[in-house]
Amino acid sequence: MASVIRTDNLTKTYGELRAVDSVSLSVEKGSLFGLLGPNGSGKTTMIKMLTGQIKATSGSAEVLGHDSLKDGIKVREVVGIIPEQETPPSFLTSSEYLSFVAKIRNIEGIEKKADWWFDYLDFADKKDVLCKDLSRGTRQKLMFAQAFLHNPEIALIDEPLINLDPVMQRKVKNFLKDYVKAGNTIFLSTHILEIAEDICTDFAILHKGKLLHTGKVGELKEKGVHLDDFFMDLLERS
Amino acid sequence: MLTLFKAMFKEEWRMHSTLFGNLNFALFPVLIFAIAFMGAFLLPLVHNMMDTFILSIVVHAQFLLMGVMVGSFGILGKEVMNRRFGQSSLIAYSARSLPVSERILFLNFVVKDILYYFILWVLPFCMGFLIAAPFINLSIFWPLLLFLTISLAFLTGLCVVFLLSSVYAVSKRALYLVLSLILVAFAVVSILYSPVFALSYLLLPANLFVSFSYSGLLISLLLIFVLFFLSVVFYSPYDTSSEKHYKNLLNSWSEKLSFLKDSTLVAKDFIDLYRSGIGIGQTIFSFILPLCLIWLVMSFVNQFLPQTGILFTLAVVSGVIASTIYTWLTEFDSISAYYFLPLRLSSVISAKAKTFTVLQAVPVIFLAVVAVISGGIGFFLNSVVLCLSVSFFELALMVRLCGLSPGTMIYNVRVFLVYILVTGPVILVLLGLTFISPALAYLSALMLIPAWLMMKSGFKKWDSEDFTGL
Repeated sequence: MASVIRTDNLTKTYGELRAVDSVSLSVEKGSLFGLLGPNGSGKTTMIKMLTGQIKATSGSAEVLGHDSLKDGIKVREVVGIIPEQETPPSFLTSSEYLSFVAKIRNIEGIEKKADWWFDYLDFADKKDVLCKDLSRGTRQKLMFAQAFLHNPEIALIDEPLINLDPVMQRKVKNFLKDYVKAGNTIFLSTHILEIAEDICTDFAILHKGKLLHTGKVGELKEKGVHLDDFFMDLLERS
Repeated sequence: MLTLFKAMFKEEWRMHSTLFGNLNFALFPVLIFAIAFMGAFLLPLVHNMMDTFILSIVVHAQFLLMGVMVGSFGILGKEVMNRRFGQSSLIAYSARSLPVSERILFLNFVVKDILYYFILWVLPFCMGFLIAAPFINLSIFWPLLLFLTISLAFLTGLCVVFLLSSVYAVSKRALYLVLSLILVAFAVVSILYSPVFALSYLLLPANLFVSFSYSGLLISLLLIFVLFFLSVVFYSPYDTSSEKHYKNLLNSWSEKLSFLKDSTLVAKDFIDLYRSGIGIGQTIFSFILPLCLIWLVMSFVNQFLPQTGILFTLAVVSGVIASTIYTWLTEFDSISAYYFLPLRLSSVISAKAKTFTVLQAVPVIFLAVVAVISGGIGFFLNSVVLCLSVSFFELALMVRLCGLSPGTMIYNVRVFLVYILVTGPVILVLLGLTFISPALAYLSALMLIPAWLMMKSGFKKWDSEDFTGL
């Protein structure tokens, strides 16, 4: 399998703090890759560096062959991103926000695509409501829709299930599984291990900026080891 | 209550000091002190040219104006709560889970802000005069009295606008009614007595400085208390309206603006201005009101200026104030709301500069009104060129220095120092030139060249900076 995301000794420091410390990893095409770790372990910083939103201090990163450090705009053109915080612009309505994203990304036929997402994620009644007046769950649905509006080959998603109800969580998880089956790649950052165990094919564990482990969820299952036990054990030993 | 207040105060300090370092922020009031200290040595010179009362009006009007520009909490209402408190990292946000009403929370926020501005601006300014007093043979009584009256002027301006903006948030019609009543009362008193008499009541603290009386002090304090009390009564932190549905404006507006490269971002800016109500609110409170006040004060110093002095001075001041429109445009939401899209910071800044350009119609209309009323219509074009040149120059300077965070970055002492060191001489030279000959106002257009260069280098600078998600 070809790797679609690759990092080599990727590092980000803020003064004395090493937020991400020499992380080298590779994500294969068609995988649902889970980047796991406790709060503050460097997951969000990794996504931001991979997509060129912040600059790495050292090391290198590549997404779909584009250099994240030198050409972040190109990376953000080809991937979909769900950021950590669900904060769409306050005074646009949901449908305007999707139009806004479509115009920035040069996506044609946005009305039809937006309507599909409104129906699929069950918030068509909120499409003319201002983003600032939406509930957190609805905002999360909106952020999910904008990330997949242009059918990206790769989506980098940061805690996408937070604030969603169980019905919607099931729907989103099924969507992600199908998306990967169709040959696309998902880079999921989460600290909810049950979700990772349920949907991820591959995983990496980050702690205090350092990469502790990479592996396949299937292999753990074959050994009869739960991901959360493995995770806790690894953290205790580190 | 006090714990909450102290925590908010500490937080405000840390928010600024972590952005540009403790020293850079702590030096800001020191700089204001130094300016006032050095300015005090010019007092004997200015006093030879100007009557004490007029001088008092000019100084007090500046602090009243500062209060006016700070005090528009009311228009922002719930938006302030969302924007400032909506960040989970702020104490005020976590305090919402405590048994404290939003009104009390907001009150803490307002008092903290007032005290903050007071420490940053009013106190160091007065200390500058106080320390300079012995060097210019001035009795210590005057700087101390100035400290009192300037504080009153600042609080009066702040409370007047706090009340007006709170009324505006409740009902726009009520605001227009109140403003009309104030104007009519001012006109009637001006006609019956004199404009100086009317202004002395409008600027009670200035009057108090010239002829101090305990009754005058009591009236000033009472006025501030009543205005503040009414503001808090009218202020509503809650949005009681039901869920509203809006027509999609983005497509049609960006279509209309399609001749611009960043039409989508520009259309978004206009939608923000339109739907938030901040566009009209800020135009009234941060633009029209301060400029009318300056116009009024200037009419008293008219005798010291050439024939077209008021128009050209107002053109320059309008240009500087108009440049703050850029600050409004950067405060609707965080860029992190769409920075994960394939956008450069320079594209966002450039779009805001385009929106800014369209909004320059506001100072142009204001100058047209001034030109007609002051009988200087023949110099209208000169004043427009002057105003817009200053405005675009200041915009470029802000872009270069502050990027998308002018409201915060200006408190970085280095940024502020560069800002005033560049702006001050430019304004003085331009005013000097226009006083020599009105035709020289056209020379100000030359400033667009360094403005363009600064803008370009600003784009380059902010695209290479690490975006922190402010």
